[in-house]
Amino acid sequence: MKKVLILTLVCLLVFGFTLSCSKKVKETPPPPPPQVKEQPKVEKVVEPAPPKEPELTEEEIFMNKSLEEINREVPLRMIHFDFDKYFIRDDAKSVLEGNAAWLKKFRTAQILIEGHCDERGTEEYNLALGEKRAKSTFDYLVSLGVSPSRLKTISYGKSQPIDMGHTEAAWDKNRRAQSTVIAK
Amino acid sequence: MKKRDIILFGIALLVIVILLPGQQEVYLSIREGMPAIPLAIPEFIVHDSSPNTQEAAQVLHQVFAADLKYSRIFEELPKDFYSYIRPLNPENIFFKDWESISAKILFVGEISNGDGNDIVFEGKVYDVKAGRGIFGKRYQTSRSLLRFAAHKMADELLRMWGERPIFTSKIVFCSNRNGKEELYMMDYDGHNQTRLTFNKVIDYMPAWSTDGRKIAYTSYQGTKVILYILEVYEGKRHEVYSRGTSFAPNFSPDGKKLVFCSQEEAGNSEIYVANSNGKNVRRLTFNKSIDTAPCWSPTSRQIAFTSDRGGTPQIYIMDAEGSNVTRVSFGGTYHDAPAWSSQGDNIAYVSRVDQIFDLYVLNLRTKQIIKLTEGNARNESPCWSPDGRHLIFTSNLNGTTQLYSIDYDGRNLRRLTSQGENKLPDWSR
Repeated sequence: MKKVLILTLVCLLVFGFTLSCSKKVKETPPPPPPQVKEQPKVEKVVEPAPPKEPELTEEEIFMNKSLEEINREVPLRMIHFDFDKYFIRDDAKSVLEGNAAWLKKFRTAQILIEGHCDERGTEEYNLALGEKRAKSTFDYLVSLGVSPSRLKTISYGKSQPIDMGHTEAAWDKNRRAQSTVIAK
Repeated sequence: MKKRDIILFGIALLVIVILLPGQQEVYLSIREGMPAIPLAIPEFIVHDSSPNTQEAAQVLHQVFAADLKYSRIFEELPKDFYSYIRPLNPENIFFKDWESISAKILFVGEISNGDGNDIVFEGKVYDVKAGRGIFGKRYQTSRSLLRFAAHKMADELLRMWGERPIFTSKIVFCSNRNGKEELYMMDYDGHNQTRLTFNKVIDYMPAWSTDGRKIAYTSYQGTKVILYILEVYEGKRHEVYSRGTSFAPNFSPDGKKLVFCSQEEAGNSEIYVANSNGKNVRRLTFNKSIDTAPCWSPTSRQIAFTSDRGGTPQIYIMDAEGSNVTRVSFGGTYHDAPAWSSQGDNIAYVSRVDQIFDLYVLNLRTKQIIKLTEGNARNESPCWSPDGRHLIFTSNLNGTTQLYSIDYDGRNLRRLTSQGENKLPDWSR
């Protein structure tokens, strides 16, 4: 009998509790927004875990990043060319030396060198000129000791300007060779 | 032994005699300066009073007349001339009337209802002076294809005149109207602009195959630049060449070969040739300079191209095997994009002077040069119509890059596109 009494009491209690709970929910419909605010807090508690391992080398950090993340940091700087020309200018040489140093640091990275032209050339000739620009960049990096197997070239001609203007400054910006990391 | 030798010699002689005529270059000439033929196109006779059919007759008449005006072969008589004579009775034509208003050719169109919702377009062409019919054609078409039916009829009239029909030809081009540059197709007059590729990557430099059923083009697929052949009406495509950046394809007029550029082996753009199905790729140029923009001669035995082997980009011609390279452009520092007319003598190209691009036409026989475009703009990528009387090209004449057409003598400039930016046109043969 006692057991039955206790059971019914417990049942009543549980029932009463759930009732009061459900009532509260019904009475206060706005709470959901604060819950959303609480969620980030929970995540923040989880996040501090990674800093425990700060012994990662630069290379390991590099390997942990996605290609998109790497390219967002723009590790390789672009170089510019003279009008109608594809030789590497003196001011571009130091830039490419920096790019070569980066490539030597991250020995597994492969890059795509894009050659671009300004709008003052014809479509057909520009596509070939863009290739020449990519190729002279390629050759210069190889001369600095980068393995040619890690470099690919592509030409966009004048189809991808970064400055839509029609001024000397805009054309100067658009005559370029820029590189993206395509494998790590 | 001797007998056999004589027989062999005889066979050899016969072979030479048979082959000799075939070796000769055949050049068709454009009748430049020929006065246009006065053509009467009175309003079409409509055998149905419903406004729909009346309207269809209007469309057919307008498109047909516009086609023939564009041809530069015919000239439509002024409309008010028709009011000077007795109204047309197709059962009994008074040819003297038509002769009196100086008509040489009379086109009589009759429109009636066909099966279902179709329209029947019947055309009869008369020689006014002789007073007799030359030919007749009858088309039954759905109402959505009225323009096509009118173009077909105009094509027939040109064909009867011994000319190459152009009105059902198509123009393929690149447009960025829906984001990235992709391929589109339209009629010769700019109507029916249709999207062909849905790749969401850049598709570039399209070129029609000789039969007008395939398009070769360059596609930027991530880190690769691939030359494809697209079967337009089947929707299939296959890869031709994916090593390096391959571009500027051009099919030979005999339908056997495809020429294009690639930079893979040499590190700079060189010209390659393949069979028209993209197989059996061979290299044609070997030097450290840029060789680009190849284009076949109408005989499929020579290729015009751009090279900067002399220091600046200039137009050259070589044999189809890569030998006998000759420079043909002079007097400028930047020439590109040669387009060889199907009529043999003329090469259109772009010349850059002080950052302005203009189109010129070089006559290979007379060495005469005509300047086609005039304006403070970039006019480029010329391409001839199948009959060699018109060109389509890209220009930023009105600000944005659009397609325009112009006649061989620089007349009749007209704009064909307006949506987004449009470039790199190629006219089907």
